[in-house]
Amino acid sequence: MRRYIARRIGYCLLSLFLLSVTIFLFVRVTGDPTTLLVEPGASQADLDAIRHQFGLDQPLWVQYGIFMTSLAHGDLGQSFYYRTPVLELYLSRLPNSLYLAAVAMALSLLIGVPSGVLASVRVGRFWDSFGKLFTLLGLSLPSFWVGLVLILIFSVYLGWLPSSGAGTPLHLIMPAFALGWYFAAAHMRLTRSSMLEVLGSEYVKLARLKGLPQSLVIAKHAFKNALIPVLTLAGINLVIMVNVATVVEVVFAWPGIGRLLFEGVTFRDFPVVQGVVLMGGAMIVIVNMVVDILYAVIDPRIRLGS
Amino acid sequence: MGRSVSGEKRKSATNVINPTRREVLALAAGGLAAVAPGLADAAVPAGQLTWGVHISLAPTWFDPAETPGLITPFMVLYALHDALVKPMPGGPLTPSLAETVSAAEDGLSYDFVLRDKAVFHNGEPVTAEDVKFSFERYRGASYEAMKARVAAIETPDPRRVSFKLKEPWPDFLTFYGSATGAGWIVPKKYVEKVGDDGYKKAPIGAGPYKFVSFTPGVELVFEAFDQYWRKSPSVKRLAFRVIPDEATRLAALIRGEVDIVYSIRGELAEELQRTPGLSLKPVNSPATFWLYFPDQWDQKSPWHDERVRLAASLAVDRSSINQALTLGLSKLTGNANVPDFFDFYWSAPAPPYDPGKARQLLTDAGYPRGFEAGDYYCDASYSNLGEAVLDNLQAVGIRAKLRPLERAAFLEAYGKKSLKNIVQGGTGAFGNAATRLEATAVKGGVYAYGSYPDIDQMFQEQAAQMDHKRRATILQKIQQVVSERTMFAPIWQLAFINGAGSRVGESAFGLIPGFAYTAPYEDITLKSG
Repeated sequence: MRRYIARRIGYCLLSLFLLSVTIFLFVRVTGDPTTLLVEPGASQADLDAIRHQFGLDQPLWVQYGIFMTSLAHGDLGQSFYYRTPVLELYLSRLPNSLYLAAVAMALSLLIGVPSGVLASVRVGRFWDSFGKLFTLLGLSLPSFWVGLVLILIFSVYLGWLPSSGAGTPLHLIMPAFALGWYFAAAHMRLTRSSMLEVLGSEYVKLARLKGLPQSLVIAKHAFKNALIPVLTLAGINLVIMVNVATVVEVVFAWPGIGRLLFEGVTFRDFPVVQGVVLMGGAMIVIVNMVVDILYAVIDPRIRLGS
Repeated sequence: MGRSVSGEKRKSATNVINPTRREVLALAAGGLAAVAPGLADAAVPAGQLTWGVHISLAPTWFDPAETPGLITPFMVLYALHDALVKPMPGGPLTPSLAETVSAAEDGLSYDFVLRDKAVFHNGEPVTAEDVKFSFERYRGASYEAMKARVAAIETPDPRRVSFKLKEPWPDFLTFYGSATGAGWIVPKKYVEKVGDDGYKKAPIGAGPYKFVSFTPGVELVFEAFDQYWRKSPSVKRLAFRVIPDEATRLAALIRGEVDIVYSIRGELAEELQRTPGLSLKPVNSPATFWLYFPDQWDQKSPWHDERVRLAASLAVDRSSINQALTLGLSKLTGNANVPDFFDFYWSAPAPPYDPGKARQLLTDAGYPRGFEAGDYYCDASYSNLGEAVLDNLQAVGIRAKLRPLERAAFLEAYGKKSLKNIVQGGTGAFGNAATRLEATAVKGGVYAYGSYPDIDQMFQEQAAQMDHKRRATILQKIQQVVSERTMFAPIWQLAFINGAGSRVGESAFGLIPGFAYTAPYEDITLKSG
């Protein structure tokens, strides 16, 4: 088991290393950030001074070496735009993103899972059709549009909710719904297909033959097993919600990590983009590693097989 | 004999201790102007105003030493800090912390006398040492250009500062007082005590508002500084909330969550205009836009022919484009590069729209059926403007393909001189006509793909000219030649459209000519009741 865990940790470190190289090179492919830090027409001397200040005049391998050395010391670098440590910026936005993601996730599960179950036991009937329509809209309507429509209705016309910002539970309702709807649709679709698969399995048929009530078959025998892939997906989705809810956070001026990433991309703030992507990547890698280890604990065949 | 400087009327001086009668009158008027608003607005500051800001606020904006060549940090500087001279309603180089400014006849020194009432937010007076310290630690835009020209800074007493130049530099005050953050003063003792990073976390300035709190990229809060020398601000608290999305900013304004919003364009600006209780606040910005023909120096290119360039200019229906995109609020001037409030501006005749004449010129130039003009490059954020202009060009036979590039990529390519055919350029950089021409029309300029020897010669001539009138004559002549040769086809001087809610009395939009944001902050008021 120890060797298995050590191997998993090794894979994680390798993944993060590859991610660090990829994101380091990708942001630099976008071009020179100095042009965005001055007005058009700035002198070459000013541009060169900025490049020197940010170390952008160094060869790429030197820049990468500095980046990795800092990373080893827990330093994600300093933002070009904010001139503030990226880690400080990230941590200042993290609580808002966690708050938004938690509520959006709860909303998406509360809507997606029951409606998925309902659609699976009423195949071809009203709830199933309604569910399909809900899924179609949820996955196809762009969240910036959903956000703007919500603002227009609930903020401008009805005046019930604040249009943007953070601070009170009322501020959270619209962004959580706009973010949660897309994921609710995804969760509903997966719940429905997973439930249909389980409902067609032999042990469920046996349970029905034994005369168990339909509700008990669905709740106790089918639902529990169908939920496993949904929760796995929800775990990954939660990380995505925390780190890249960019569009929703921008539309609602929600001060989260997604907006930080947007600002980083807008200003070609390489350290910010690198930092946010690496933190998000690290979360996904760690979640996957924990899941792998748990699988191995539950099912010894996995660790022995590997 | 010395004379004082008020506004941008720079005159020479060798001795400010023995003033002339005119100087005494100017000083008295200056003193009255400084004191009178304070007398009129002696009421205690009250209430709060909230801004919906379009761009992320950065802590570097709290420190004038790091002011980049962007206009946006001045949005914060005007509240938190003050400068020796700065653009104000009275003129682009209005004495502020300095009571008087005088330039030596030989152009080798500039003397400033500080106001004795000017104090920092911690109660300490603004001294000559602070001025010297602020300049020496400055490392923002045009840092090298300034430091290379200043030989020494002398501080004979706590209220007098003298900048000694290595050679005459007629644009010293333009750079020191308006184009950079070098003339904005920070408290030496405090900065030395807390360090640069500490200063950005808890900045202290000499402006009308004190720093209260800041969340990077989210919100900034200021509180009125009652002892501000010019006047006590009327509004107690100012809060700046970052709302990146334009539609959301407008929604926040309609709901009264914010009182002032920046940058509302097109249809949203129309909506703002229609909404009862809200008012549209367009500002005449320094951002000029033009069409540039980088191939005009290539004899094989159609753009080498002046008639073709003029045809392109005549083909553009500026008035309709202006109406459609900026509600008719942008200025249509014939001067492609220099905004109308810059020093040494030459007022060019308004560019006409005459597609018939454009077609005739193309025929005369040997293109009766028009020609394939290649690519039309523009910053993607202004591709709507590009589409409209391209339609106009197409209508007279100049057929080009729109190539919108992401802003940074566009500026990089433009600056590296790798674009061809047609370029839709623009800049909002501070300065004067000379600085604009230097970047766009003179040999070696950042955006100059070529130049004309007579223009280069005139430009060199003006750079050494200390006489303001003579310099103005040369610079205006250059602008005239640039215009007559259609080096550029002017598009417009962009209007920066903003909005104000029903609680706002004086928003201060447009009080400082060419300044896109609300300032001076101490002039902003809430409606009574």
